Amino acid sequence: MVMAEGTAVLRQNRPGAKQYIQQNIRADCSNIDKILEPPEGQDEGVWNYEHLRQFCLELDGLAVKLQSECHPDTSHKTPKECPAIDYTRHTLDGAACFLNSSKYFPSRVSIKESSVAKLGSVCRRIYRIFSHAYFYHWQIFDDYENEIFLYHQFTKFVMKYNLMSKDNLIVPILEEVQNSGSGESEA
Amino acid sequence: MMEERAAAAVAAAASSCRPLGSGAGPGPTGAALVSAPAPGPGPAAKGGGGGGGSPGPAAGPEPLSLPGILHFIQHEWARFEAEKARWEAERAELQAQVAFLQGERKGQENLKTDLVRRIKMLEYALKQERAKYHKLKFGTDLNQGEKKPELSEPVSNGPVESVTLENSPLVWKEGRQLLRQYLEEVGYTDTILDMRSKRVRALLGRSLELNGAPEPSEGGPRAPPAPGGLSGGESLLVKQIEEQIKRNAAGKDGRERLGGSVLEQIPFLQHCEDDDSDEDDELDGAQHRKQRVKLPSKALAPETEDEDEEDDSEDAISEFDFLGSGEDGEGPPDPRRCATEGAHHELESRRVKLQGILADLRDVDGLPPKVTGPPPGTPQPRPHEDVFIMDTIGGGEVSLGDLADLTVTNDNDLSCDLSDSKDAFKKTWNPKFTLRSHYDGIRSLAFHHSQSALLTASEDGTLKLWNLQKAVTAKKNAALDVEPIHAFRASTPAPMGSQRLQVPVALYPSVLSHVLEGHGDAVWGLAFSPASQRLASCSADGSVRIWDPSSSSPTCLCTFSTASDHGTPTSVAFTSTEPAHIVASFRSGDTVLYDLEAGSALLTLDSRGNSGPTQINQVVSHPSQPLTITAHDDRGIRFLDNRTGKSVHSMVAHLDAVTCLAVDPNGVFLMSGSHDCSLRLWSLDNKTCVQEITAHRKKHEEAIHAVACHPSKALIASAGADALAKVFV
Repeated sequence: MVMAEGTAVLRQNRPGAKQYIQQNIRADCSNIDKILEPPEGQDEGVWNYEHLRQFCLELDGLAVKLQSECHPDTSHKTPKECPAIDYTRHTLDGAACFLNSSKYFPSRVSIKESSVAKLGSVCRRIYRIFSHAYFYHWQIFDDYENEIFLYHQFTKFVMKYNLMSKDNLIVPILEEVQNSGSGESEA
Repeated sequence: MMEERAAAAVAAAASSCRPLGSGAGPGPTGAALVSAPAPGPGPAAKGGGGGGGSPGPAAGPEPLSLPGILHFIQHEWARFEAEKARWEAERAELQAQVAFLQGERKGQENLKTDLVRRIKMLEYALKQERAKYHKLKFGTDLNQGEKKPELSEPVSNGPVESVTLENSPLVWKEGRQLLRQYLEEVGYTDTILDMRSKRVRALLGRSLELNGAPEPSEGGPRAPPAPGGLSGGESLLVKQIEEQIKRNAAGKDGRERLGGSVLEQIPFLQHCEDDDSDEDDELDGAQHRKQRVKLPSKALAPETEDEDEEDDSEDAISEFDFLGSGEDGEGPPDPRRCATEGAHHELESRRVKLQGILADLRDVDGLPPKVTGPPPGTPQPRPHEDVFIMDTIGGGEVSLGDLADLTVTNDNDLSCDLSDSKDAFKKTWNPKFTLRSHYDGIRSLAFHHSQSALLTASEDGTLKLWNLQKAVTAKKNAALDVEPIHAFRASTPAPMGSQRLQVPVALYPSVLSHVLEGHGDAVWGLAFSPASQRLASCSADGSVRIWDPSSSSPTCLCTFSTASDHGTPTSVAFTSTEPAHIVASFRSGDTVLYDLEAGSALLTLDSRGNSGPTQINQVVSHPSQPLTITAHDDRGIRFLDNRTGKSVHSMVAHLDAVTCLAVDPNGVFLMSGSHDCSLRLWSLDNKTCVQEITAHRKKHEEAIHAVACHPSKALIASAGADALAKVFV
């Protein structure tokens, strides 16, 4: 019964979107364009949904790394940032419930229009996790990023599918992303 | 001796063949056959009919041929089998019929109660009208006074009425007195009343036997009382229903009960509309009675209820003589009818309404209770309906254990005999919750030892703790999404590109706070023994380790290296009867008992089976017997004795590899999950399948990864590759 997850066992004619994404990531996680490019005939809503699930899944890993460092009692500049780790956890839990709920996403092969709109707000919240990590826990962010290029993927993803406006992308890490890059995140 | 038997057999064969193509004189041929010791069985059997028979006796004693005998025996056997199948089918059919009829009967009883209630409502309305009419006609105000306007909506007050009717029989006394007065006024003499009461008594006696009423007044006792002014059609309707109900009940034990209950209704109803003939005066009295709640109670000495009830019932029932025999033209009906001429129109409309209501009722209530459980969240409606059906039937009055079994039979299932011993294990498990919060397949799950909490571990690298108590289902069998109350993020999330992470879960009383280093590869199995406070783990690095997790810095206490002897261990379990022993199962198909105190292997259990070694996916220990149960890749489950090492029982359990096992803490049943997407519950007494639940979708050829039973509550759960965990109660 030993089967590595996501190995190319194509029982159907086409692999599910999730398996496809995971295969591509596993193959080469720096090849972002390939990962983000949907196969032909793939419904875009479903594609976005599956990607977002994958991001949340991987972001759990970042959250774990952060939680070792980001305690409410460690030095933060202002009290406002203290609950950052709580925010991170809440966001990820909330995203998990939302993305998995049968109320909003009853089917994995087609997404309701109303739920598509909500994907954008999920992206915004997720982004805040990234930005907090970048500005306050740079080392962890950097290590994780070099490992799986998650932030790159995410930024390109939201820009490609217009899930967030460019003004919100404040992390100055990508050359393409022209932003003011000022100050503090809205954690 | 043999020849005699053979002769008899052949004779039977010939006689059975005869109908097939019998032409010439079967009688003499048969007789000749019987007498002849051994007519050729071959030609006799195959020839068929007289043609075959005639050469028989003519041939005289011929040697019996084995093929002939065999043919005959086969023929007989086929016949028996066919008959048996027919019987089985018939039996099933009859059982279904029984269930259906019971449901129907129940529906009709409900219908009857509803009808009765509506009749009361209408009677009340009728009384209202009569009171008004009387008031207008006679210009008197009959003790109701100001109460009348309040009762302008009798129909809507119906249900309330029925309640109030039951509550104050005392006031009925007054009413009855008044009614007697009115009756006298109208012309009912006491003699008529007595005569009627006698007749009614007789009728009551007869109606108890539930036969067709011999009298013209049959309509009366059989039907619940209808308002006097309503036509016979009205009561006919009700009558028919009553008859139907009684007919249904006639075949069952509840016959007397039903008859009794019907009659209980009648006296009761008599109360409510006591002597409800077409008399206006009586109506007033009845109305008066019905308003008892508001009336000042008169100082009437309450007579014994029973006497009055009987009198009243008889009197009232006697009223129906008129209904049934209105054409007979008994004296009293005529003046009555004249009196109620004016009120008849309203009665007509009300009757029409009643009929309409009855028609509706029949549509709605007459149906037998159907299975209407909504399918739970996952798209597998049909198999879940099976579960629902079992539940409905099991809860029925008559124990339809066998019928319930029929719904679960699976053709492919070789050993899934359905248990007849419902007494031993009455529970059927129904899906209660679906836990959806994981992104990836759930590999393992464990219940909290005392609370309604479940921990699930998934390939997405998280452990989630679910509180099952808070989630209350709004309706039965609805699957509910339960939010995890906490999500533990694993310290090592599933690394991508490497082997999948197995995160087995063994729940401690306290939250895991340590990381136990020591295994060099994926940990496949964990087991915890609260008795000895030991944790056992097995890993792909070919070792089984024992830890003491309660110490401040847990270290590995003992290591069994198994790579050389048995291969990679896949699962471990503590033996419940012997806390110092653990049993480990291997990919090679072995199961080995280890002694922790001695630090060595004790016994290799015979789990390889006849078909060769197959990977064992899980091993569990029976909670009270020295029994080990293993789940195999070859779709089978084996039971092994810990003392002798021999296989006690072996069975094919699923259609695909059996992946996980769980034993309930009382040792009553075993739960097994498989990649064929099904969850099966087995009775440990006779090793038969008592329930099958289809749960989870297949993903990457895998379906169910883990199952668990709650140690103290009646909860079972399954974890699937589709990232869902399901909880059943």
